[in-house]
Amino acid sequence: MRSAWRWFLLAPPLALLLVFFVVPVVYLFWVSLHAGSTSELYGASLTLRNYTALVGDSFYLTIIGRTLAIAAVILGLCLVIGYPVAYFVAMLPPRRRMLATLVLLFPLMVSNVVRAYGWVALLERRGVVNTTLHDLGLLDAPLALLYTPSAVVVALMTILLPYMVISIANTLAGLDRRYLEAAQALGASPVRTFLHVTLPLSAPGIASGTLLVFLLTLSAYVTITLVGGPRSKLLVSMIYDSVTAFQWPRAAALAFVLLVLALAFTAGMLALLRPGRVQGSAR
Amino acid sequence: MPTAGSVLRAAATLVAFALIVVPILIVVLAAFSPSDYFQFPPPGLSMRWFIEFFRLDNMRSAFALSVELALASATIATILGTLAALYLARRGGMLANILQSLFVAPLVFPTIILGVALLLLYKTIGMPVFSGLLLAHCVVGMPYGFRTVLASAQGLDPSLEEAGQSLGAGPLRTLVLVTLPLIWPGVLSGWLFAFIVSFGELNTALFLTGPGVTTLPIEIFSYLQFQGSQLVIAAASSIQIALIVILVAVVERIVGIARITRAR
Repeated sequence: MRSAWRWFLLAPPLALLLVFFVVPVVYLFWVSLHAGSTSELYGASLTLRNYTALVGDSFYLTIIGRTLAIAAVILGLCLVIGYPVAYFVAMLPPRRRMLATLVLLFPLMVSNVVRAYGWVALLERRGVVNTTLHDLGLLDAPLALLYTPSAVVVALMTILLPYMVISIANTLAGLDRRYLEAAQALGASPVRTFLHVTLPLSAPGIASGTLLVFLLTLSAYVTITLVGGPRSKLLVSMIYDSVTAFQWPRAAALAFVLLVLALAFTAGMLALLRPGRVQGSAR
Repeated sequence: MPTAGSVLRAAATLVAFALIVVPILIVVLAAFSPSDYFQFPPPGLSMRWFIEFFRLDNMRSAFALSVELALASATIATILGTLAALYLARRGGMLANILQSLFVAPLVFPTIILGVALLLLYKTIGMPVFSGLLLAHCVVGMPYGFRTVLASAQGLDPSLEEAGQSLGAGPLRTLVLVTLPLIWPGVLSGWLFAFIVSFGELNTALFLTGPGVTTLPIEIFSYLQFQGSQLVIAAASSIQIALIVILVAVVERIVGIARITRAR
């Protein structure tokens, strides 16, 4: 009876995840190991060609390099801007901190297509930035702001920034202030206190913010397409293009390259920041 | 006395909040434009683009489909997430840890890969479009209910459930009469997040929508791609935003703001 009850609790959610999460990803990997086919989803013969072709093709290597470069810039900006903002938010009195968190949280609830459209409306030829600069007499001809890598960086960075700020602010707000007082009482300067006490103790927040921003950057097809235009292709755009061209095994292989990048980055970050070593960090 | 550091931090916060919020405000402002193109500052206010939105068949049906999909998937995802959380709430050990990682995995797993993977699976087994989307959104939404309910259930005093059972209630009666009334704020905020995620979801819907069966975010995306940024898109976006605002406000009245800011 008790074990029947336990199965009643576990079986439905486990079944959903096994059938519609684990199985499709394994199947995707299986498809990536086959040659393409014009009539079927994938050809009959097993092959590693989908992967070796990617490694040997400078076109794909350039795109993978560009993807990593853009992700690195977005991540760097999110950290440099996000950390001081998180520090400011964490030091607010509790009620105001909750309000600030809500202002950061609300944009995350709005669909990314809407937030990307906001940036299109700001940056396009007849957009808010161009017309305002023109009306102020600062500009004769409209600037080509949209469809540039910088536009992708700015738009994606601001779309993902709340994740970084909230993650770090949560850790900083839960920090035991006595550590900081102890460092200062022992004569450490504010800079030294920050570098040797505050920063290491905020590692869990930095780790979760960094992972969220990086992983969401890799997947952000819609934002990249709307703000970057048809020419700034990243890895995720190649996956989409292969799907629309019905090249299933290639799309599958590209998806797995993306997954490997995501996993390698996650493992690297966790090894570097070791968020678990900070005591009492629940997040 | 403010130090240079604290002034810098306040300035950075101001700039960051502006960069995060302004694009959304611009969209809402543009939706009320009376003109064919968005002018800043706007010459006046009008509802014409909202009327246009509801006149366009594909927009209207995409909106209806998105609402149905979000309601159905959030409800199923929350029920399943609640079951998983109740199973794991009082369990430790390796297997429980593995299961817990599995139940939150869709949160960090690149959803674009899930989209391609499900598309291939659905093509192989011949899945209808709406059911396929529904199941995808259940997978994406389940971790939210799981996490909020797990937090509620772990904070629960086990003696309450034991009391119910020692008084002769079976497991199901204990669940409905004792556990659920105690954890329902967690259930509700999990449902809210699952709804919001489904309502704005792009990466699986990108692959899984079909002709005539499109969600509002995907309809907005394809409209922007193929017809340019016309202001009916601003109206569609504002309706997206308005529905979320209303929903968050309602849930906030019931469970309180603290639970929403924590639930993410």
